[in-house]
Amino acid sequence: MAVFDSPQEAFGILRPVCVQLTKTQTIENVEHLQTKLHTIGDSALQDLQEYVLFPLRFTLKTPGSKRESLVQCVVECITFVLSTTCIKKQDLLQELFSELCLCLSSPNSQQPAPVSEELKLAVVQGLHTLMHSAYGDIILSLYQPCTLPHLGFAISLLLTLAEQEKSKQIKTSALKCLQVLLLQCDCQDHPKLLDDTEREQLGDLFASFLPGISTALTRIITGDFKQGHVIIISALKVFYKIIGFVMADEQLEKIPKDKKKPSVECRVAELMVHREANWVKNTGSKLATLIEKIVEFVSVHPHWKARMELIELVQDLLLKCRQSLLNSVGHLLKALVGLVNDENADVQSRCNKVLKTFADQRIVVESRALADILSENLHSLATALPRLMSSQDDQGKYSTLLLLLGYLKLLGPKVNFVLNSVAHLHRLSKALIQVLELDVADVKIVEERRWGPDRLAESSSSLSEPPLYKSKSQRKYFRFFTDERIFLLLRQICQTLGFYGDLYLLVDHFTELYNESVIYRKQAAMILNELIVGAAGIEVEVLHEDKSMAGSEELRQVITSILEEYISQKNWYLVTSKEAEGTMKHSHLQAITSDVHTCHLAPLPSSSELSLTVCSMNSNIWQICIQLEGIGCFAHALGREFRLLLMSALYPVLEKAGDKTLLISQVATSTMIDICHACAYDSPRDLINNNADYLVNEISLNLHQMARSPHTPIVLEIMFQNSDASLLPLIEDVIQDVLFSLDQFHDERAASFLSVLHTVLAALARWFPEAKDDKQLQKQNFRKEKYDLHQGSSTLGNGFAFTTPAEEIEQFLLNYLKNKDVADGNVSDSDNEEEQPPPSEAEMNDVCPDVEALLPVQTQIAKDVMERCIHLLSDKDLKTRLKVLDVLELCVTVLQSHENQLLPMIHRVWLPLVHRLTNDDPLAVLRAFKVLCTLGNQCGDFLRNRFSKDILPKLSGSLVTQAPVSAKAGPVYSHTLAFKLQLAVLQGLGSLCKELDLGGGDLNKVADACLIYLSAKQPVKLQEAARSVFLHLMKVDPDTTWFILNELYCPLPYEPPHPSLYPVSLSGMAKPRTEYTDNVLLLLAELQG
Amino acid sequence: MALPPPPPQFVLRGTQSAVNSLHFSCRSQAQSPPLLFSGSLSGLVHVWNLHTRRVDATLDGHGGQSVYWVKTLGDQRLLLSQGRDLKLCLWDLAEGRRAPVDSLSLDSVGFCQGSVLRGGAQECWLLAVPGRGTEEVQVLDMPSKTSVCTLKPEAGAKAGMPMCLELWQPASSSHPLLLAGYEDGSVILWNVSERRMLSRLSCHKEPVMSLDFDSRKAKGVSGSSEKALCVWGLDEQQNLKVCRTQELTNPGIADVVIRPDGKILATAGWDHRIRLFGWKQLKPLAVLDYHSAAVHCVAFSDPGQPREQLLAGGSKDQRISVWSVYNQS
Repeated sequence: MAVFDSPQEAFGILRPVCVQLTKTQTIENVEHLQTKLHTIGDSALQDLQEYVLFPLRFTLKTPGSKRESLVQCVVECITFVLSTTCIKKQDLLQELFSELCLCLSSPNSQQPAPVSEELKLAVVQGLHTLMHSAYGDIILSLYQPCTLPHLGFAISLLLTLAEQEKSKQIKTSALKCLQVLLLQCDCQDHPKLLDDTEREQLGDLFASFLPGISTALTRIITGDFKQGHVIIISALKVFYKIIGFVMADEQLEKIPKDKKKPSVECRVAELMVHREANWVKNTGSKLATLIEKIVEFVSVHPHWKARMELIELVQDLLLKCRQSLLNSVGHLLKALVGLVNDENADVQSRCNKVLKTFADQRIVVESRALADILSENLHSLATALPRLMSSQDDQGKYSTLLLLLGYLKLLGPKVNFVLNSVAHLHRLSKALIQVLELDVADVKIVEERRWGPDRLAESSSSLSEPPLYKSKSQRKYFRFFTDERIFLLLRQICQTLGFYGDLYLLVDHFTELYNESVIYRKQAAMILNELIVGAAGIEVEVLHEDKSMAGSEELRQVITSILEEYISQKNWYLVTSKEAEGTMKHSHLQAITSDVHTCHLAPLPSSSELSLTVCSMNSNIWQICIQLEGIGCFAHALGREFRLLLMSALYPVLEKAGDKTLLISQVATSTMIDICHACAYDSPRDLINNNADYLVNEISLNLHQMARSPHTPIVLEIMFQNSDASLLPLIEDVIQDVLFSLDQFHDERAASFLSVLHTVLAALARWFPEAKDDKQLQKQNFRKEKYDLHQGSSTLGNGFAFTTPAEEIEQFLLNYLKNKDVADGNVSDSDNEEEQPPPSEAEMNDVCPDVEALLPVQTQIAKDVMERCIHLLSDKDLKTRLKVLDVLELCVTVLQSHENQLLPMIHRVWLPLVHRLTNDDPLAVLRAFKVLCTLGNQCGDFLRNRFSKDILPKLSGSLVTQAPVSAKAGPVYSHTLAFKLQLAVLQGLGSLCKELDLGGGDLNKVADACLIYLSAKQPVKLQEAARSVFLHLMKVDPDTTWFILNELYCPLPYEPPHPSLYPVSLSGMAKPRTEYTDNVLLLLAELQG
Repeated sequence: MALPPPPPQFVLRGTQSAVNSLHFSCRSQAQSPPLLFSGSLSGLVHVWNLHTRRVDATLDGHGGQSVYWVKTLGDQRLLLSQGRDLKLCLWDLAEGRRAPVDSLSLDSVGFCQGSVLRGGAQECWLLAVPGRGTEEVQVLDMPSKTSVCTLKPEAGAKAGMPMCLELWQPASSSHPLLLAGYEDGSVILWNVSERRMLSRLSCHKEPVMSLDFDSRKAKGVSGSSEKALCVWGLDEQQNLKVCRTQELTNPGIADVVIRPDGKILATAGWDHRIRLFGWKQLKPLAVLDYHSAAVHCVAFSDPGQPREQLLAGGSKDQRISVWSVYNQS
């Protein structure tokens, strides 16, 4: 379609249509006009604007009732014209304004005329367009005092539409239009160059409408949730724009006290408002109610955009009119504060940003009034807090605490005003302590024990885990709430307090509470932990950048004092289990006597009330855990600086890592991981290794006072498990201390010391394995020779050596005799010297008989320990004896490469050991037999005679007497001790024979005793074990074994190769199948193969 | 009943050999931690940081020969160490240096520790060390190393080797005096500038192992291998007189030290114990029983804040025990 740009052409086209419309006003004609208008260029239309508008306005103005559709059509046409042109005459603007408004007025009521929704929409949009098409300052002509009634009408019309219409579209359009009408439009093409005086005038003008607008908008905003968030958002926008305009502090400051002479007639003048102080105060207080309502309603609005708009509202109002709206500031802040931790991330970040702007602009910090209001709010919240915490449900607590957190954040450093008031600090802490009360009824916590080896070694790889302070590994259960979020919130609150508050004041206060009563202690400790985390600035969102961080020196001092409190005797060594009760009683008594002056403050469970309930033990466990977590927090707060505090902190933590209660040991382990993170250690192992000197110091000091510190062995044990040989010089004197203490307290504490010694020796055996290898290699060679020897003899014995020349046999026999002599120890010195190469220089030095060479530390230790074992082997307590046997075994292993030391020791240990083997509890016999096996392995030659003299008869005797019992026994027998003993003896006997290289008579004894166990009537396991004995015997003496077996059952007839020889007759020949047959056959097959 | 003596505050391990000499240096620039120097049998000087309780530095300057005297000069930077390699080393430890800056050859093979006296504000000081001859004591001007004098008892004195030395300056005169304990159990007071013996006191039957002198009270104490401590005084005529003797349970005192504030006396015993006495009346105060071998030396920290005053004992068992005792008032 052609576009006509010149006014002449346009005129030519439009003229007939306009004339037509003026003549007959029908929809068709209007539409005709509109189609023609589309073909006209903008500039041409601008020239012809009034000409075109005339017939349209004429149509509207024609008296008499018109069809709604016609009116609508006309309005739409006008809207079109206005949208492409602008109005340059004030009259035209005013006239059009009132004409459009009139379309919706009903002549005899306040309500808008009951017309169709389409028409309403068209009119609203028409007005909207009209406002936008006014050229330059023309628009201001609408806002003269004389036009006040018109304006008022339009405003009330729009408000009514927004409030009462059903259609969302009309509602939003009406609100938009209202926004434009109030000159608060946020679109770009508005020349909003209002100067101050103009603003002031407009402000005065709008002030008249403020009550109406605000109440109507409040009604809309607090209407049904279902009306949709878009409307609420628009309404909120209009609300804060108009209030922000009328009540702007900037304007109000300049308002003169006296009213200006009204320049208009008095009827209108009455409507005019003069915004002097009194008016501001009244309006402010009235608005406060509305704002409170809105805040309350919108802050819980389900749609996040609505909440977001609320933030904008708060920001706008707080920025522009915090003086005039003094009464509402509290509510506004409350809204903001409540939204700081909104579930929607956008809202949250926006809110934080707004709060930050406030903080940045120092609005809160510098304007006393605002800080006062916040403090006041916080005061009243703190006052109500204990009550709220006990009465509200989880959700209520959550929002209350959220609010508390917000205030703290917003107040920043000024929070100290509140904290400095004793009453309020008291209230606040009471509430926190009350709500943080733990549920300590769970029995499981007390019952779960730590078994097996320490987890620490395994956990060394778990450094990748997030540190404890981030993900509380151990969930706590609280009496007054279940929602985990509440706990998080409480932690944040404490952290924020710690960050902004006066650290000394807070720590003092809560330490006092900590010491005041057992009931408060856990909560106070939790709070203290979080305070420190906060004070260190970890994880605190910083709103007030200028807040100076707590000096690290200050922090260190505070932490040191709390740490001291935590690990003091009375707070660290609590009764956590029944078995500990006995040992604790003593130390408790000591604690009580030594802290008499503090006793009345801290009602320790005195010894008379030591009969502990599960609850109190559970509570104690938690207390220790919280304190352990605290140590982790402290480490994080101080970072590498915490390394210095490890001096005192590491030992207690390790002590707890070895605690029997599962929970405590778990928490302690994660505390160690925390410390590793904070102090830049790779693993707990690394941590222990690097601080072994501190640990050793504590351990050694504690060993000197064993009565007061019964846990020392645990720590020592853990340290040994986690360190290596480089530690040996450090611990050397500690081991001497242990031995010294053992000598002093062997009746009371032997068990715990023995476990330490066990660890020590296990560690030594682990750290110095190389000696073992040498020895074994040597031994293996020796065996091999021997074995070859026997192989030789066996071939002879089997009768397949006929072809062997006589010299060979002779040589063999000579060798055999010589070896036998050597084995029996009948070696002449001269022989020896001949054979051995002259010892080298070094060896000479080594074996120098006069000067005892300085032994390696580990050997010396093992020797010293073994010395003690000799004495303790005959202890009256079975458990001790068992432990001693274990330790003894390790001693032997460590000493194996030092025969000069080992053999005399074995000589001394022999007698008590024989007693263990011969007349003791079966358990001890079992253990002693194991030791014997190890001994045999290390120094068989030395023991041979002793064994065959002292032990073998007894051992074989017991095997023989037990055999009928086990043969007849049922399946349950395999669970008895007797069975285990038989099994162990049978399993060990074979190799022992081999190691000791027993002679023929002894071997026969062994074989006799074991033969019975080849019976099929014996339990399968015993048969197997017995077979293993014979397998070993075969290696030592195959011929005899063959003979013995064949005596029992002989599967083959042996025909003499020549009739001149006697026939071989074995007693096992031609026997029917017996109970022994199967096993004998198996063994013979093995022998032949 | 009196409270049992406390355990050591902490124990320093890691010298790996017997500890012969200890010296505190706590009063210094604020930024550097308090230090404890220890000289050991293996010839090393360990510098212990008392904050971390760990070795800050190990000084090796005596070729593996036992170090039996360590002492700082004024501040933490300058350290003297005397070893069995017949050398006296001067260390400047500033800026982490670990090598001796100067050394002095000694002629005596004995165990006698040296003694220093600061000469006013100047950078020079007097050093007394056992001299070339058996009975001689040599006094040197440092750092120029020029000999001031050689002090030797008259021919028939038969004092034996000097065992311990103590240089001091009486407040009344400008002449430095020297107290020396000798092998025959006598203590001799020398006037250094006049090179003459002022007084001789035979107070022990056995060699004097150690002595210390409190110039404010003009009273000194000496210990020997016997079972007794001897306290002697100096009268106006500069004569030494025995004030009292204190019997001990076990014989053998390796070291006696008077606390800088003049309130307490500590002894290092061959019986593995450190004993504390009130200095005024020699009232036995405490027996500190920790070590498992003879205690070779004791040292008090410089009088800093009263609560932080420390006592250290070094022992043949290779440990250094650090105690915080009688600090409250």
